[in-house]
Amino acid sequence: MTRNVVVTGLGVVAPNGASIQDFWSGLTSGKSAILKREYSAADKYSLTVPVAPVDGVEDRIKGLGVQLMRADRFSQLAVMAAEEAIEQSGLEFGEALGARTACIIGTGIGGQITFDEGYVNMLCRERRPHPLTILKVIPNAPASQLSIRHGLRGPAFAVSSACATGAHAIGVCSDLIKSGAADVGLAGASEAILCYGALESWRAMHILADETCRPFSKNRNGLVIGEGAGVLVLEEESHAKARGADILCRIAGFGMNADGKDMINPAVEGASGAMSLALEKMKIDDRSRVYVNAHGTGTLLNDPTETKAIRSVFGADADKLAVSSTKSMHGHLLGAAGGVECIASILALKNGVVPPTANYDEPDPECDLNYTPNNAEERDISVALSNSFAFGGLNAVIAFEKV
Amino acid sequence: MADFEASLLEIIKEHAVGLTGELTRDTQIADLGIDSFSVVEIIYEVEEKLGVEVPFNANENPFGDMASVGDLIDALNKLIKK
Repeated sequence: MTRNVVVTGLGVVAPNGASIQDFWSGLTSGKSAILKREYSAADKYSLTVPVAPVDGVEDRIKGLGVQLMRADRFSQLAVMAAEEAIEQSGLEFGEALGARTACIIGTGIGGQITFDEGYVNMLCRERRPHPLTILKVIPNAPASQLSIRHGLRGPAFAVSSACATGAHAIGVCSDLIKSGAADVGLAGASEAILCYGALESWRAMHILADETCRPFSKNRNGLVIGEGAGVLVLEEESHAKARGADILCRIAGFGMNADGKDMINPAVEGASGAMSLALEKMKIDDRSRVYVNAHGTGTLLNDPTETKAIRSVFGADADKLAVSSTKSMHGHLLGAAGGVECIASILALKNGVVPPTANYDEPDPECDLNYTPNNAEERDISVALSNSFAFGGLNAVIAFEKV
Repeated sequence: MADFEASLLEIIKEHAVGLTGELTRDTQIADLGIDSFSVVEIIYEVEEKLGVEVPFNANENPFGDMASVGDLIDALNKLIKK
């Protein structure tokens, strides 16, 4: 018997909204949460760059309890998002369900803020590293924290594939449920690296935007680092139906592959191949009802490459699609990008509204799709595709369909 | 010695998120709201703030059977190489 996977809960902590409700109103408003901020270390070093931070959540972090107060920020954001998703799902993890629940929470980097503070303390202040440093920085910290918090005893681990992490986590968790290894899963990703050392490293790569993120616009000149987390509750369809759960959508496809070419430069064939794999088993009658939440980083190379990949998959129908990059509003959440953008895709599907590409100033002949510039558009979506293409050439695409 | 004990109490108090009243030698550890993380943190701060060494292996928790804060302070005093 085929096992299908549905989504029964969503939770998000994003720069443009730290709950599903706020995130959706942020996305549809077309307002960007990107701003310039100064980051410093040891009163000696500093830089000012555009970032997309999550502000105003300190009280909620305190409310998570003592165990989480001493965790790194990426664990705190993950747990905040997961709590919202679990609440929406209505699930309570008792003994039996806990044993059948997976917890796959990824991160691109891990506890970098803790690492940075540790090095500053060691090298500039001659203080020893904090004894909890290791437990804070390990990439599996959010998966472990959630497993302990809710007694989740099925498959649990972290996924890491840079900017494709969140999509890989959701896809892998969906496959685990399909395989029978679990009936329910928490799946998503978290990232929180807004600190001096990390941002200086990103700047060294010469890939950060100077003002803001302008995906697909001719004047785009780089990405903007954001922080946040997105977590989904996935559930085997008959399990969800048997308990009368509110089913938000079905996972219709998961495509993953690798370019096998270059650490920085993306390849059209990799991106189009991953999209084709995600769409492989689907029959889509009307492609004007497809929304593509693009990877759309706003870098010089990603956007035309992704445009070509979308054209090669959809052919002449590519012009009918609604495409947008919500990174223009919440920045690039790195590992968490796929988690948060899958949620944007599902909300677009559910609400029949395509969130826009903000900061779109100027058409680029090399980027010639309908990117939903600057204003949200009402459209009766039947399929939403979330694209994630990572540094290192690792690609993951998830397709969601209405139930 | 009294000053030293007061400093220890002060450090423990900072981590006692579950504490409602005063912190004394008679306060029960169970009422402090601390966990395995806290014990490691408390020892680290004792070492940092008081300039002492606490030979301690997190896998052989010597604080497992203690009931009161007094027991904890006595155990720390025994371990500390001043």
